[in-house]
Amino acid sequence: MKPSQFQHHAPERVDEVVALLAEYGDDAKVLAGGQSLIPIMALRMATYPHLVDIARVPDLSKISATPNAVRVGAMVRQSHAERDAAVATVPLLAKALPHIGHFQIRNRGTVGGSIAHADPASELPAVALALDARIEATGPGGVRFIDASEFFLSTWQTALDDGEILSAVEFPVWGAGSGFGVEEIARRKGDFALVGALAGVTLDGDRVTRACITMIGVGSTPVRCHEAEAALIAGGANADLNEIGRIAAAPLTPTHDVHASAAYRKHVSPAIVRRALTAALKEARS
Amino acid sequence: MSSPVAARFVGSAVHRKEDRRLLTGHGQYVADASAPRMVHAAFLRSEHAKARLNSVNIEAALSAPGVVAVYLWSDFHEKFGEAWHAMLGQELVVPPPLAIMDVRYVGDPIALVIAESRALAEDACGLIEVDYEAEQATVDYATAAADGNVVHAAWGLPSNVMVDMPFTPMSPDLDETFNSVQHVVETTIIQNRYLCVPMETRGVLASWVPGLEELDLIVSTQSVHETRNFFARYLGLDEGAVRVSARDVGGGFGQKMFVFREECAVVLATKLLGRPVKWIEDRLENLTSAGHSRNELGKVRMAISADGIIEAITVDHVADVGAYTPCPAVMDPTLLPGPYRIPRLGFSTQMVWTNTMGKAAYRGPWMFETTAREMAIDIAARQIGMDPAELRRRNLLSLAELPFTSPGGKVFQEITPLETLEQALGMLGYEEFRKEQAEAREQGRWLGVGICVYVEPTSMEQATLGTEGATIRIDSNGKVVAYLSTSSHGQSVETTMAQIIADDLGVAYDDVTVVQGDTQSTPYGPGTGGSRTAVIAGGAAHDAAVAVRDKVLAIAAHMMEAAPEDLQIAEGVIAVRGTPDRSLTMKEVATQAYTNAHTLPGDVGSGLEATIRFKPTRFPTWSNATHVCVVEIDPDTFIPRILRYIVSEDCGKMINPQVVEGQIFGGVVQGLGGVLYEDFRYDPDGNPQTTTFLDYLLPTTGETPLIEIGHIESVSTTNPGGFKGMGEGGAIGAHAAVANAVGDALAHLGVNVTSTPLGPEDIFQLVQASQKERA
Ligand SMILES: Cc1cc2nc3c(=O)[nH]c(=O)nc-3n(C[C@H](O)[C@H](O)[C@H](O)COP(=O)(O)OP(=O)(O)OC[C@H]3O[C@@H](n4cnc5c(N)ncnc54)[C@H](O)[C@@H]3O)c2cc1C
Repeated sequence: MKPSQFQHHAPERVDEVVALLAEYGDDAKVLAGGQSLIPIMALRMATYPHLVDIARVPDLSKISATPNAVRVGAMVRQSHAERDAAVATVPLLAKALPHIGHFQIRNRGTVGGSIAHADPASELPAVALALDARIEATGPGGVRFIDASEFFLSTWQTALDDGEILSAVEFPVWGAGSGFGVEEIARRKGDFALVGALAGVTLDGDRVTRACITMIGVGSTPVRCHEAEAALIAGGANADLNEIGRIAAAPLTPTHDVHASAAYRKHVSPAIVRRALTAALKEARS
Repeated sequence: MSSPVAARFVGSAVHRKEDRRLLTGHGQYVADASAPRMVHAAFLRSEHAKARLNSVNIEAALSAPGVVAVYLWSDFHEKFGEAWHAMLGQELVVPPPLAIMDVRYVGDPIALVIAESRALAEDACGLIEVDYEAEQATVDYATAAADGNVVHAAWGLPSNVMVDMPFTPMSPDLDETFNSVQHVVETTIIQNRYLCVPMETRGVLASWVPGLEELDLIVSTQSVHETRNFFARYLGLDEGAVRVSARDVGGGFGQKMFVFREECAVVLATKLLGRPVKWIEDRLENLTSAGHSRNELGKVRMAISADGIIEAITVDHVADVGAYTPCPAVMDPTLLPGPYRIPRLGFSTQMVWTNTMGKAAYRGPWMFETTAREMAIDIAARQIGMDPAELRRRNLLSLAELPFTSPGGKVFQEITPLETLEQALGMLGYEEFRKEQAEAREQGRWLGVGICVYVEPTSMEQATLGTEGATIRIDSNGKVVAYLSTSSHGQSVETTMAQIIADDLGVAYDDVTVVQGDTQSTPYGPGTGGSRTAVIAGGAAHDAAVAVRDKVLAIAAHMMEAAPEDLQIAEGVIAVRGTPDRSLTMKEVATQAYTNAHTLPGDVGSGLEATIRFKPTRFPTWSNATHVCVVEIDPDTFIPRILRYIVSEDCGKMINPQVVEGQIFGGVVQGLGGVLYEDFRYDPDGNPQTTTFLDYLLPTTGETPLIEIGHIESVSTTNPGGFKGMGEGGAIGAHAAVANAVGDALAHLGVNVTSTPLGPEDIFQLVQASQKERA
């Protein structure tokens, strides 16, 4: 459980990061908080001769707010985001963060690292997908934006090109009358979710004017439940949430692991969606 | 000469001597030790559960950076001698340090790489090419006995059965009883595979010193002395040429009671190299290769009369011992009736080999008797329509009716089974809980309560286990040093033994230093395990302290020209009773005893030191407890959560209530972990599935309920302090208490809980199956 030898690079500017990645190609890997990468290397599931550590790049650790969105730099630590006033204006993100591991892990783990890592049971990719966030990628050709809906390709696979880094994520801010809920089943406090649901609604009286429902742990990427969202918008704030949950769960084809079978994940999904929506509606009403 | 003064420290929660260093991160573990010219070891381990080794090519590894040596079996062959432990007997040989021609479980060590760092050693392991010829593995122990795939075919063994004891009725009228009784209950109880998981993994720093021809081992062990004796035999050395020490040991739970093959390999490496070799096991190795536990099943039958009297109990028992077992400790079937008045017993036992990691001792290694009985009692209660607490109440022994000889030949005395049941039920408010449970069910909530009552054999006598030794010395400054035969690995031995010694000598607790875990200075002891320290080491500490006290009094009497009987010691001052101005300090007596010893008359002797070995008056010393657990299961997610956990225990006189409760907390967490979180799994081909803490889930503080403890102190007469062992009980009782609570929570759905683990997936499957059955 010791990583094999690697060279540690500690650039201080984004262009240097990109240049190092270009120089070493497949031999290089970005190191952010290390909370996923280092265990993988220690178990020798992967070896990288060069790690490009982005922790010393000040430009990647900034949070900035515009009226409609909050831009979170890739290297912002999860624990920092948890306490940030601007992030608080994106309640789904603020609510999802404490579900990541334990505080020690969030002290090192980063917002960008979690999204770039793209674990299908992770919370932050689901937040990005639920809110239609924009992923800012920086590579040799400069900066481009990728919609969250096109970013997550499969387990640990994203639309980032070779040599590109995720430099920031822009999370849209929802307006007044909105509420959010995060519900998940984890075996223990801090474990990856067996199944989770992240939901948001905007209410106008009993009318649902906007809804998002995203599930985690039920596929090879986070899953956006468009049909359930449509049903909720159609049904309004007093819709039968069990039914919405069933609609969300119907198309899922989860996989199994040592902790839960596919049948279990499918079976519990409606209730988790119901709970997330119940919390979101309650907050929207208050 | 005189009786000890009234206890001042025994019975109170004095601050732990270990806390300062352990809580500030200054504990001294094997990983903290180093030696000049030290090199590091890593094992290349088998990726197959069963395979022939066609070839192993180490060429690339040998020339890898930093590599000092690469060893295979051929390097160690004929370099070692006898490989057995005194406690287990000469027949149970530790397997060869490295695989010879084939591998028999995933993790079987094939090569040992020695390099300048552990990371470089791991790099080189990756360069070794092994040509395996994989064979069909035997993994399921329930069917292994009949499986023609023989794990040890290479040894010429005909089957996978290691031990086969056919059904033995311990009572002549067993069949008649089952034929004539009102209710016969039959159920198969299955306990899953879970592990010791000490915080400190195994580790050893082995230094062969050429020229001196001595072996020095710093090792994470529960038994420095037995480790020394083992390696003296192994290398054909005098025992005095082997020194084994362990300053702090970060948990053992039975795993570190015996020497493992990996430690043998590291010792052979230092001997061949003449350089200190350090091996610190990583977590992957610890989970896959350091011994596995539990993993037993039994078909239990009970004969119960119309009024709920259990007339007989039997079990047909099967235990998995894996490929090579470091300690084949399985259920003790003679304990199956437990602390109940059950008059008849019968059992069969089968121990079978599989291509998995072998069985190791784990806190209450015999405890499947408790799991099997207590889970079966709940099934029985449901079947005959009686409350499980009431069924237990009608059959449990109470203090007043002892001694009682069980059909398994156990003579129970000085235990309080019924009393602890009533105390625990009272702490819960059992009747009120039943009402709350009924109301909760109306609201669709699933609440359940589980009970487990057991008796714990402590301080047993097998082989080496019956005695412990203590050397106590008052040094020239009047302070006390106690050299104990123990090998503490988290039991607060420095604290509890100092409490006993301080009381017996009449000195301050802070003036007593306890030294242990070093063969160079301490008397022989078989190791800390089997809940023996309070009773046996405590007895030795007491007797040695009294002997030293008598020396103090003899010398002081000479100095003060008084009779020893007229003297008393308090707060380190020796005074003539009733004449407090005639007194001496301990330091003054010590000065006389050492510096001016030549002036003492011959019959008074010199020095203030005594060594005594202690043996209890009877074996074992019984202790007992009742556990009660309340769980709630979320009907949407099937996640179980413990709402209350209650233990009523009787370990006799408590030396230190905080230490007693700490032992209970730790044991309970291990037991509930085994039911709700921990489960070591193999796939059907013998590949381990839960090899890191991502998948092998230990309960954390987040999952641990407040554990409420009630004490009953019925004094034991096996030892001067009135103590009983209790170190294993928490882990013995928690398994069935938690499983029964889950069973009770699901009972109204028609579910019978007979096996563990009980994670959300398992509960989901049980509920689904019962719904299907009902539909
Ligand atoms: C015990 C434990 C429990 C955990 N529980 C959870 C949990 O419940 N939920 C959860 O979501 N996560 C969990 N995690 C993972 C944790 O949140 C990680 O922080 C996160 O997944 C990765 O972030 P990081 O900054 O540590 O990235 P790293 O580990 O440094 O990197 C992860 C991967 O992303 C790549 N990468 C990182 N940053 C960038 C970037 N800016 N551009 C391009 N590629 C990049 C790396 O090259 C690497 O491949 C847990 C981790 C541990 C150890």
